[in-house]
Amino acid sequence: MCLENFSSQVVERHNKPEIEAQTTKEALLTPVQISRNENEKVLVEPSINSIRISIKIKQADDLERILCATFTRFLMMRAENFVVLRRKAIKGYDISFLITNFHTEQMYKHKLVDFIIQFMEEVDKEISEMKLSINARARIVAESYLQQFS
Amino acid sequence: MILLEERNRILEETFRERFSRPVEEAERIFLTLHDFDGVSYLVETKESKSIVLFSMSMKCYPELRQYGADNVLVREYGSLFQATPEPGFEVTLRIDEVALAGQDTEELVKKLALLKRNALAAPFEAAFYAQSQGQQTNIMTVNYRDQEAIYVMGFPDRVTVIFSTVFNEEADQIFGRVFLQEFVDARRQPAIQNAPQVLYSAREPPLELRGLRLSDAENIGYVTFVLFPRHFTPGPIREETISRIQLFRDYLHYHIKASKAYMHSRMRARVESFLKVLNRAKPEKPEDQKEKKTIAGKTFKR
Repeated sequence: MCLENFSSQVVERHNKPEIEAQTTKEALLTPVQISRNENEKVLVEPSINSIRISIKIKQADDLERILCATFTRFLMMRAENFVVLRRKAIKGYDISFLITNFHTEQMYKHKLVDFIIQFMEEVDKEISEMKLSINARARIVAESYLQQFS
Repeated sequence: MILLEERNRILEETFRERFSRPVEEAERIFLTLHDFDGVSYLVETKESKSIVLFSMSMKCYPELRQYGADNVLVREYGSLFQATPEPGFEVTLRIDEVALAGQDTEELVKKLALLKRNALAAPFEAAFYAQSQGQQTNIMTVNYRDQEAIYVMGFPDRVTVIFSTVFNEEADQIFGRVFLQEFVDARRQPAIQNAPQVLYSAREPPLELRGLRLSDAENIGYVTFVLFPRHFTPGPIREETISRIQLFRDYLHYHIKASKAYMHSRMRARVESFLKVLNRAKPEKPEDQKEKKTIAGKTFKR
C-alpha cells in the first residue's frame, strides 16, 4: 500500500482519487483478483494515490443473502464514520473500501491492513452466527406453539 | 412472552374494574380499542349509566354468520346478545349492571374478553361436529384479513385448517420460510409427537383448495394443519385448540418481526465494534500538537 500524493492532471488544482476518476490511464496499476471460489472473491484495484478493495461475501442460501444485504447496507449507511468505506459497492461485489494517500498519511498502514483482514473474518462469522440464531429461534417458536396441543 | 393470549386484556380489566364497583357509582364510559386482524371494539354507555353496550366490528362476520356464529354467541352470552347490532358494528352485547348486582361477575368478565375468539369459533365447531358424525363439510372460507383467509374443512376422519398468509417484504418471506420449515419438522421431537401435522406450501395452494382458484403469487404461503379427533375431544381440549389455531397467523408474524428486530440490534452492535477497531488505526496526536496548560491557567499549543 504505497500511495503518494498525486494532483489531478485533468483539472487544475484538483486532487481526486485516481482509481475513482479513472481519467489518467498511466496513473492506474493492474487490478488483482483473489478468489477462493466462484462465490468468494476479493478485487484489489491500485492506482498511484488510491486503492480500491472490493469483497464478495460468501452467501450460500436465501437467508444468508438477506442477512448479508442488510448487514452491508447498515455498514454503508455509516460510511462517513468509517472513513475508508465506499457508500456503494462495485458491481458484482458486496462491499468496497477506498483508501487514499490522505488516509495512509493520517493512519497507521499496518493497522489499516489489520482492520480489513479482521473485517473479512468477522463478517463471515457474524453471518453464520445470525443464521444459527435464527434457526434456533425458529425451532423454539415452533416447539412452543405445537406443545400447546399435546 | 412467546405465546399470544386469546383474550383481550384491556377488555378484561376494563370490565372487571367496572363490575367491581357498586352500581350506584357507575360512570359513563366510551372506550374504543383494536384487536388483532382488524377487529375493533366499542364499549359505551348510551341509554343510561348502568347499561353498557359492548360492540364489535369484524368485517368477516357475515361469513361467520353463515357458519352459525350467531348460535355460538347466543349460547355463550345468552340474553346479552342483541339481534340487531349497533350501526357500524357487527355484534352488540347489552349488559345491564343492575341485573348483575350481587352476582359473581368473574366468569362473565372472562367471557366478554373472548368475544372475538367466540365469534371466530363457529366454523371450527361446525367442522368438529361434522367429523364426529362421520360427514364431510364444504370448504368454509373466512376472509378475516385483507388478503389472507382461513379455510376449514371437516372430513370423516379429520379436520383440515388451511391458512393463506401474505408476506409483504422479501425478508419476511425468507424468515417465514425458515420458521414454517421448523413447524413442519418439529414433530420429529418425541415430546411433541402428538401435535397436529403441519404442511407448508410456498406458492401453490394445496390440493384441497385447487377448486377455489386462489392466488399463487411470489409472496403467498399456505400452511395446513391436520387435526385429528384427539385434538378436539369435547371439553377444555376442544376450546384450547380453537383458541390456539385462530391466533396462528398473528403468532407467526409477531415472531418474524421480533427476529428481524433482534438481527438489527445485533448488526448495530457489530458495526460499532468495527468502528472501534478502525479507530485504533488512528494514531494519537503527536506531542507537539497537544494543548498544554501553565500553572497560571493559560493554554497554549507547543
